Amino acid sequence: MSPTPGKGKRRQPPPRRTKNSTRIFYLALAVIAVAGVGALTWMSRRPAETFASPVDSTLPKVQSNGYVMGSATAPLEVIEFGDFECPSCERFASLTEPDVRSRLIDKGVIRMRWIDFPLSMHRNTWPASRAAACADEQGKFWQMHDALFQTQDQWNGEATSNPNPFFKKLAGQIGLNQQQFDQCVDTKKMQAKVQAHEQLAIGQRIQATPSFIIGGKIVEGPRPYDEFKSLVDSALAKSGSPIATAGTKAPAKPTTKTRSSR
Amino acid sequence: MLMALIALIGVFVSLYLTLYKLGYIGTLVCGTGACETVQLSRWGDFLGLPVAAWGAGYYLLVFVLCVGGSQERYELSRGLSLAILLVTGWGVLFTAWLTYLELFRIHAICRWCVGSASMVVMLFALAVWDWAGG
Repeated sequence: MSPTPGKGKRRQPPPRRTKNSTRIFYLALAVIAVAGVGALTWMSRRPAETFASPVDSTLPKVQSNGYVMGSATAPLEVIEFGDFECPSCERFASLTEPDVRSRLIDKGVIRMRWIDFPLSMHRNTWPASRAAACADEQGKFWQMHDALFQTQDQWNGEATSNPNPFFKKLAGQIGLNQQQFDQCVDTKKMQAKVQAHEQLAIGQRIQATPSFIIGGKIVEGPRPYDEFKSLVDSALAKSGSPIATAGTKAPAKPTTKTRSSR
Repeated sequence: MLMALIALIGVFVSLYLTLYKLGYIGTLVCGTGACETVQLSRWGDFLGLPVAAWGAGYYLLVFVLCVGGSQERYELSRGLSLAILLVTGWGVLFTAWLTYLELFRIHAICRWCVGSASMVVMLFALAVWDWAGG
């Protein structure tokens, strides 16, 4: 009697494998491995330009919205559409943005504009955007921006369903007028402003966060600094700007961190 | 043997998504853009690592087990068949959770994820067939 499949201790021995089938198996494995490694290598070495898509020129330009860091005379404006609760935005803010600020913004090469794009999948991103807008009311948007990303895991939708007390604590830590901030947050004073930013992002057909508009191209994802800089260089070259971003040749423009918001 | 081939394809698909998530690869070849939405959502990470990296680990484990199982000395091993069945079964459960998130929380479908889900189901089906003595 043959053993019941799945219950017996040993199975029927399978038909003996031929040398040929083993050879084909290893050949197939080798083909997949070579194709896979080749494809990954090719994709990772594509120049940064190839993954930027052009901005639809028929769409209205993004002007005088959001929050700006950098010199008003910088030859290039980079626009970030971001979501405070998005982990990839946090990754960009933590890993790439410090270099962007010190090497590009502080040196007057670019200025950066943040536009809120709170995604519906993130439970606490709207309160976070409102809190940042309330901080901006007191001239401290970027301090709140940084504090929100540094503490994202403590107030995100997985950590709490009521993040406002945490935001109020952050406001105290970055030196905001507590009463003014609390009132702003509690009354959702900045709701319309954040909604306007969201509509702007939708109008630009932004599909993911973070997304950047760099010289007429939309770039998605938390790009590492080298790629980001190469996109900036390319945009500057196309605009005919004489500014060099490499090494020490960066212009010694005054570091004027202007902030404006409307 | 077929399982090892599928698992190896899965390793490369997961590595592709992991490298994208870590910023080494530009726009995902996706067609609709929903891949970016899924990958950049807050469910794109699990226990501090990109979900795709967990997927790469999963496929690599299945690949190693299946290549081991294809060696003559382990061909009849019930223990190895059971291990493959358990690992691929866990893969199906995890994939079901991820698909739920795509459909009902993120409201976007990533074609790469659908491809991976198909491979995970195929691996489990083959593991069941192998366990049943196929």
